[in-house]
Amino acid sequence: MAGGEGPVSGVAESREHLFKVLVIGELGVGKTSIIKRYVHQLFSQHYRATIGVDFALKVINWDSKTLVRLQLWDIAGQERFGNMTRVYYKEAVGAFVVFDVTRGSTFEAVSKWKHDLDSKVLLPNGSPIPAVLLANKCDQKKDGSQNLSQMDQFCREGGFIGWFETSAKDNINIDEAARFLVENILANYKTFPNEENDVGKPKLDLDPLKAESKSQCC
Amino acid sequence: MGGFLQSNSAARSAVCLNVTALTTGKGYLLNWSCVCLPWFSGPLNLCSGEFSLNSKWIKIFVLTISKNKTFLSLFFFPRNFFTKRTKELKPAVQSAPGWKLFGKVPPRENLPKDSKIIQQEYEARTGRMYKPPPPSTRRKNIEFEPLSTTALILEDRPANLPAKSVEEALRHRQEYDEMVAEAKKREIKEAHKRKKIMRERFKQEDNIASAMVIWINEILPNWEGMRATRRVRELWWQGLPPSVRGKVWSLAVGNELNITPELYEIFLSRAKERWKSFSETNSENDVEDVSASVADREASLELIKLDISRTFPSLYIFQKGGPYHDLLHSVLGAYTCYRPDVGYVQGMSFIAAVLILNLEEADAFIAFANLLNKPCQLAFFRVDHSMMLKYFAAFEVFFEENLPKLFLHFKSYSLTPDIYLIDWIFTLYSKSLPLDLACRVWDVFCRDGEEFLFRTGLGILRLYEDILLQMDFIHIAQFLTKLPEDITSEKLFSCIAAIQMQNSNKKWAQVFASLMKDNKEGDKNHSPALKS
Repeated sequence: MAGGEGPVSGVAESREHLFKVLVIGELGVGKTSIIKRYVHQLFSQHYRATIGVDFALKVINWDSKTLVRLQLWDIAGQERFGNMTRVYYKEAVGAFVVFDVTRGSTFEAVSKWKHDLDSKVLLPNGSPIPAVLLANKCDQKKDGSQNLSQMDQFCREGGFIGWFETSAKDNINIDEAARFLVENILANYKTFPNEENDVGKPKLDLDPLKAESKSQCC
Repeated sequence: MGGFLQSNSAARSAVCLNVTALTTGKGYLLNWSCVCLPWFSGPLNLCSGEFSLNSKWIKIFVLTISKNKTFLSLFFFPRNFFTKRTKELKPAVQSAPGWKLFGKVPPRENLPKDSKIIQQEYEARTGRMYKPPPPSTRRKNIEFEPLSTTALILEDRPANLPAKSVEEALRHRQEYDEMVAEAKKREIKEAHKRKKIMRERFKQEDNIASAMVIWINEILPNWEGMRATRRVRELWWQGLPPSVRGKVWSLAVGNELNITPELYEIFLSRAKERWKSFSETNSENDVEDVSASVADREASLELIKLDISRTFPSLYIFQKGGPYHDLLHSVLGAYTCYRPDVGYVQGMSFIAAVLILNLEEADAFIAFANLLNKPCQLAFFRVDHSMMLKYFAAFEVFFEENLPKLFLHFKSYSLTPDIYLIDWIFTLYSKSLPLDLACRVWDVFCRDGEEFLFRTGLGILRLYEDILLQMDFIHIAQFLTKLPEDITSEKLFSCIAAIQMQNSNKKWAQVFASLMKDNKEGDKNHSPALKS
């Protein structure tokens, strides 16, 4: 269902959404790789460093009457650019915060990125934008890293709506994580007074919660 | 094993092959259910065949048995032939009886024959062994060079069928001739095109060679006296010959910082000490009780390591194990020791890499440090946000002046320069343009200074103005952060040349200076999206 690119269905009541989603995290954690995998179904060891910001567009036929356009903003990871990238955060409605399971320091930086995110952009109702934590490069994981309940607790305390172990290389959990974020964004839309209920009800029976080797909180 | 070949005149142009194949030891034994070949104008009975194929070619032997004649024929097709509609191939049959080799003088002794003999004959005629042509020319051969097509074609209907009428035979012959003529014409056109490209390439090489002589013998020995002359400036615009490129860049960038090769060695050895201690502390414990500044520096070293492998990855020379990996590491490491206040900033690896490709190690470092010391580069690499905003604002003044329509289009989407200019300026176009073209931009950047970086940006926008005007925000953003790879230097430089760096009689430097003054007086900001 979700995940395919395609034209708008001809149904009269069909709705189109345009969502701006940020992909942030330390340098070299695989932000660009995750996006390329998600949008182009590709993986390469040879992506160039992102300077400034790169873009991608993913069109999702969410259900028979909902079309979702995800505008993905792939933001350079060096902390130094922090000030400069403020403008990139404007009007975002969701975010992925990515770290590399093989480099502990990138996990330590997660809170800093989340804090940075919350200080730069909020939903129209003043609450933080939904953010999903991605533990990337799980294909290279040495065992004995964070255990699941610790991660769940970390997410709850850090204000993440959930977390996924992902691998852009082996295509693990990326579609699932994106679907989970979009569900949350759509749910937020429903609660906005001006958005009414004609937002095609996001179906929650898609089973995003049952993808293997990951857990979620909240 | 048995079957028949049949043509359906209505479907003549739609070539299809519908076979059920039984695998045999060598190839496939065919059970033809239906074959419609464009040049068959009558049905054939009883035909068995064998076909073999490699990845790109299908070779078909067909044994055709009709009442009083038996034909053995041989076809070669590119694999994609049967799925492609080929309008070029029209029915073509000659009036002489029997088969003929498509596009060639027909073999007359056309009775039962071993397929090998046919192949040998074919090889003897064309003077080459049968081998699939090299990959690059395969399709061309079929589309443009009928002489290399080896299909045998039936000139007349088999004897068991009513003969063609005179008109039909004439028409087929005419169609066949037209087809061959058409293909020949195309062949000649292609050849002309190839020749033209070669001529241009030779001309270019000649130009480079003669320019090189001028640079080496005349200009470089009298650098200070000649660098600003009109003749040199014009020659410079044409692009520096690769053999003098590094030298001219070095001279043009200068060495205000008075860095010597010895100084480079000193900073390099400091960097090496630091790497050593860094890897030691890193393996012992996860960098915990060190002061913030040390942690930052070490983070810088870590970043260099990560970024080096992501610098021109497609060249495979800066990656681990590549010939320039250590060199790039050294230059960047030495710089972070030389300028700890700036440190390593993403984008630097691309600049250092381009310099390393054109200069010796110490010279590359000297040029690198001096280049990064230019006001514009210093503003960007220190991520001096307010200065960067000034540069963007100045850029927008000339953007509006030169490309008002596109400027408004961008405005309507709030698409500000920070979306695309950051990458272009930080890497001096070395990431966004093909490397040879980026070097040409560097050539003129060394001649004209920072102004040329922004002029190049406008040149790119001008080159793609028509396309960009049709796009919405996300597509423009995607387009500009990943420019087409087929961008050519002729087109880009003619667009850059057309950009006027003149705004109501004010030049870049004046516009920039007045923006600096404006801002000091707390005046309006020209880049609205960057207001925080």
